[in-house]
Amino acid sequence: MSSEAAEGEADGAGEAGGAGKAERLRAPRTAAAALVATGLLVLAVALLYDVIAVRAGRPARRWRAQIVDELATRHLDDLGVLVGAGVVTLLGGWLLWLAIAPGLRRWLVLRPYGGTAAVIERTGIGHLLADRAAGLDGIDHLRIRVGRRKVRVSLVGRADPAAVERQLRDELGRVGLARPPRLDVRAAGGRAAGGAGESTEVAE
Amino acid sequence: MRRAVVNRVLLGAVGAVLLGVGVLVLLGGLDLYRRVGLHPPGWWPLTSPDQPVVSARSRGRWVSSSWWWPTVIGGLTVLVAGMAWWLVAQLRRTGLSSITVPTPEVSGLRLRVSARALEEALETGTAVLPEVERAGVRLVRAPGHPRLRGAVRLTPGGDPAALVEHFEDGPRTDALCSLRLPELPADLRIRVLQAAPAEPRHRWPRRRRRQSRVV
Repeated sequence: MSSEAAEGEADGAGEAGGAGKAERLRAPRTAAAALVATGLLVLAVALLYDVIAVRAGRPARRWRAQIVDELATRHLDDLGVLVGAGVVTLLGGWLLWLAIAPGLRRWLVLRPYGGTAAVIERTGIGHLLADRAAGLDGIDHLRIRVGRRKVRVSLVGRADPAAVERQLRDELGRVGLARPPRLDVRAAGGRAAGGAGESTEVAE
Repeated sequence: MRRAVVNRVLLGAVGAVLLGVGVLVLLGGLDLYRRVGLHPPGWWPLTSPDQPVVSARSRGRWVSSSWWWPTVIGGLTVLVAGMAWWLVAQLRRTGLSSITVPTPEVSGLRLRVSARALEEALETGTAVLPEVERAGVRLVRAPGHPRLRGAVRLTPGGDPAALVEHFEDGPRTDALCSLRLPELPADLRIRVLQAAPAEPRHRWPRRRRRQSRVV
């Protein structure tokens, strides 16, 4: 029986490993969708109520008559119409962006191991790098910005940026990110650690 | 994540409709067709800045047809029902109350283990791993089979990669073996604490509050 369990587990591990499941997290978008659904629900209920009331022989409510009247009399080049259309366009574009963009940019994906997929917070990586740098000599001030593709470190002090970069690169490798970000260490005076192409242009 | 897909489809559909209407009105209102030299086909709506947004003629186009009002009422009813169903579906908990344990050699027995018991076992198992400051594990619904969702806070200088391996080889494998589940995939969210802050960091208050809340 234990062999059976082991088999099952190996299966799961093989699946996860084979799929290379180092995908980004995708935000569930619950709050935005709930807002949109509530708005749609309120609109549709009000409209349905009024349409049925009108069909039953009662006069339309004032808000509907007013909206219909405005839409029928205002022309397309009316300022209010243009502003409204602009707002609607922006809102629509934003909702589309929410629907398409993965979101959860705070988390970076780690290399999966077996059936466990893991993500780490970007600030957590910053903490690890800062703690590693705290043990080094000659650093007066260190600023670490962890982006999703690039980690920028600027340091003030007599420490050699190349040596600091070696240490931080080692620490970054220890984290085990699925897609390791580039590391860019430079002294605040403009002295960059050699290697990266874009750091040389600012070196002088 | 079935629910996330529904959410995104809803957002995308509403967003596309709003964007389309807004762009059409802007194109017509700013008279961009004429300025750019485009000649939209005859049925294209909202081409001239002098026309009303919804003219009486276009409003009355279908109103007299016999299918119009049943269609409008039916469409609105479907919309109301769909949105109400979706909102009610949000109230359903994402957590599970229990998990079914397969018992292949005993027929007629249906064995269920409380999700809380499994979560607590995994939490204790994770919390004793090296460099773990605090751990929380939840069993959540997912398409197909349940998933584990863990949130772990590491002590300063902790090793995230090692934590993932320890978790996989330790608590997760133990749970799989003792329950004989075919699979129980896990997602871990790892935070790392910082040793005594060397200097004040500029961070937004919102983020700081989120960080102090564990699990």
